[in-house]
Amino acid sequence: MGGYGDVQMIDENGLRMDGRSPGDIREVTIETGVIPVADGSCRMTWGTNEAIVAVYGPMEAHPRKIQRQDRAVLDVAYNMAPFSTTDRIRPGFNRRSREISKVTKDALESVVMLELYPRSKIRVTIEIVSAEAGTRCVGLTAASVALADAGIPMTDLVVSVASGKINDVVVCDLNKEEDNYGEADLPMGILPNSGELVFLQMDGDLSQEEFSQAWEYNMEAAQVVHGMMVEALKGGGSQ
Amino acid sequence: MSIPIVPKLLRAHLSDLSANNARIDGRSQWEGRNLVVEHSILPRAEGSARVRMGDTIVLAGVKFQIMQPYPDRPNQGGLMCSADVRPIAGRNWEAGPPSPEAIELGRVVDRGIRESGCIDVDSLCIIPGEKAWQVILDLFAVSDDGNLFDAFALAGIAALRNATVPAERFEVGEDYALPVSKTPIMCSYHKVGGRFVYDACSREELGGDERIHITLGDDDNVHSLQKGLKGIFSPEEFSEIMTNARERTKELRKIVDSM
Amino acid sequence: MVMNSGPVARPDNMAKKNGAAGPRGNIRGQNLVVPGEDLGDSEDFEAGHGVIAISGRLKAVKQGRLREKGGSISVDPTHTRYIPRPGDLVIGYIEGCTNNLWFIELGAPFNAILPMSLGPGKVDFGGTRSVMDIGDAVLCRIQEVEETHSSVVTMKGMGLRKIRSGVVEEIDPHLLGRLIGKGGESLRRLKAEADCRIVVADNGRMWIDGELDGILDVRNKLSVISDRKNGGEN
Repeated sequence: MGGYGDVQMIDENGLRMDGRSPGDIREVTIETGVIPVADGSCRMTWGTNEAIVAVYGPMEAHPRKIQRQDRAVLDVAYNMAPFSTTDRIRPGFNRRSREISKVTKDALESVVMLELYPRSKIRVTIEIVSAEAGTRCVGLTAASVALADAGIPMTDLVVSVASGKINDVVVCDLNKEEDNYGEADLPMGILPNSGELVFLQMDGDLSQEEFSQAWEYNMEAAQVVHGMMVEALKGGGSQ
Repeated sequence: MSIPIVPKLLRAHLSDLSANNARIDGRSQWEGRNLVVEHSILPRAEGSARVRMGDTIVLAGVKFQIMQPYPDRPNQGGLMCSADVRPIAGRNWEAGPPSPEAIELGRVVDRGIRESGCIDVDSLCIIPGEKAWQVILDLFAVSDDGNLFDAFALAGIAALRNATVPAERFEVGEDYALPVSKTPIMCSYHKVGGRFVYDACSREELGGDERIHITLGDDDNVHSLQKGLKGIFSPEEFSEIMTNARERTKELRKIVDSM
Repeated sequence: MVMNSGPVARPDNMAKKNGAAGPRGNIRGQNLVVPGEDLGDSEDFEAGHGVIAISGRLKAVKQGRLREKGGSISVDPTHTRYIPRPGDLVIGYIEGCTNNLWFIELGAPFNAILPMSLGPGKVDFGGTRSVMDIGDAVLCRIQEVEETHSSVVTMKGMGLRKIRSGVVEEIDPHLLGRLIGKGGESLRRLKAEADCRIVVADNGRMWIDGELDGILDVRNKLSVISDRKNGGEN
């Protein structure tokens, strides 16, 4: 989290700097089939975040030692392109990307029916080409759309949304400025049909009441985003 | 990059097509695929472009950093160009440090842009000996259906020509458009079924032999050449593709210059 | 294909949950479903392909078109990769070989082995490469698929052979139905029009042999079929 300043991010009417109410999310667009050579793909913009996800597979897992006899292995890589942020990111090993790749994989493994494809590999590559705030949420959400687009069986889609706190007010889906002065961040990965969770992180400082409010905002926002995901997937498959 | 199996039937078929002056996707020998060039499409980059050639899609992003000029060239800034082909772009591209193939891509594009002199490195100097701009061009493959070279080179020059130097953010004056005085253009030719064709698709690359990349400047001057992959070619073959490259680069330059 | 929310999406104008529209309505129409979508009570229908029954409810696990047939509902997926099943006719490429077997690439999540004993004719131990080498295409049949998906193919059978001429093309396996048509009508017409021999294998690959013009005609037809899948957008 960024510094705690006296910057006023919420006006007297309770609106945020970009005109949103505390529970509103930024503008979202979802598009499938954007990578012609991939088995499934998705481009998702969320505010000025942009994630592109490709899914390849199920395909033969190489080398043989990574194969699992009872299920497919899910290979998830999250990466930020060098030009995705204000200061260029040097390509190469990055601890933050590794951690996000891991938690994203853990979330997706909870819904993908890996047991149907023993010994094979499903590769999910998440590339953030423009980052604002909340890229891990955009990446995870877009990855679940790309997996569905690839025809991979899953028990549900995953919607990931974060809420946080600015100027002691709990708000949903922090943008870049809010994130810089944010006092907390609670990203969740929600199964929209059951309301269950497959991904949860949090850092910052929230009271029990604030935490409940942030949780509530995420749950509500997940339903909104889910509606768009469904529409993008159904639109993409029509003829 | 993992090496896919080259089907013997594909090679035989490509020879057959070539003998009948045909190509696997119905194009003629020197015909390129559908081309779309867009610029300023990435909000966080100071310059950007997206190029789509058939099913090949690439992005280019320009970022700036302040560097200390090299002691032997105190009045000059720098240009750096790097290409990365990550696993998103195709099932044969693998994770990990840049593969030799990706490094070759970046370096060939880099030479064409650098040697054309389209960016005046002296103009990148802020305070001689102390501060200068380093221009970083990052090339990023989204979908590899063949000929990433030309797509990268085109996206690269389009992104540079539409880049803004972020002087305000670095508190060294006002923002200004990056001066790019020339438009170097690369054309790539692949030996498929015994003859060179322009803009090979992935199946032609798979069943083909060597490739040759030619970068020409505004005045048809040659700025970079590269022969890649296994194969032998004659001076006559080279002269034929050079003739074609002269025409082709002019057409492509018009597209980039008009943006 | 692009879904755009307004400038700001609010929970109060959120899309209705799919279940709320009534699952029964979904089943009757040729509706598209996405993973996780509720398809009604599991007492009413059997769960077919792409559908699972869980805690008394039916749920789609694949994206595709819903189909109701003989008391069961299933999803016709919009995208598939080939999964080997015993008895399938397949076209594979030789990927590697040892003294007594070949490794065959089938475009599937797991590749197959072809033991020398099931190979074409008589092969001497250590002579696999001289019979079929890496990059050769073979028309073979899936003999066996183990629980853990190791599969074995055979070339013993009518018409199974190494492919020596023509081309091998590939489309998504779920598009094969469209290529073949009702009772094989479309495929028969295509063969006649192009004057080509066409063998369609279950793994989405087909062997096309004939004059070059005929092969090109067939390829055009295939690309039309494949493009339509993408809604023509790409």
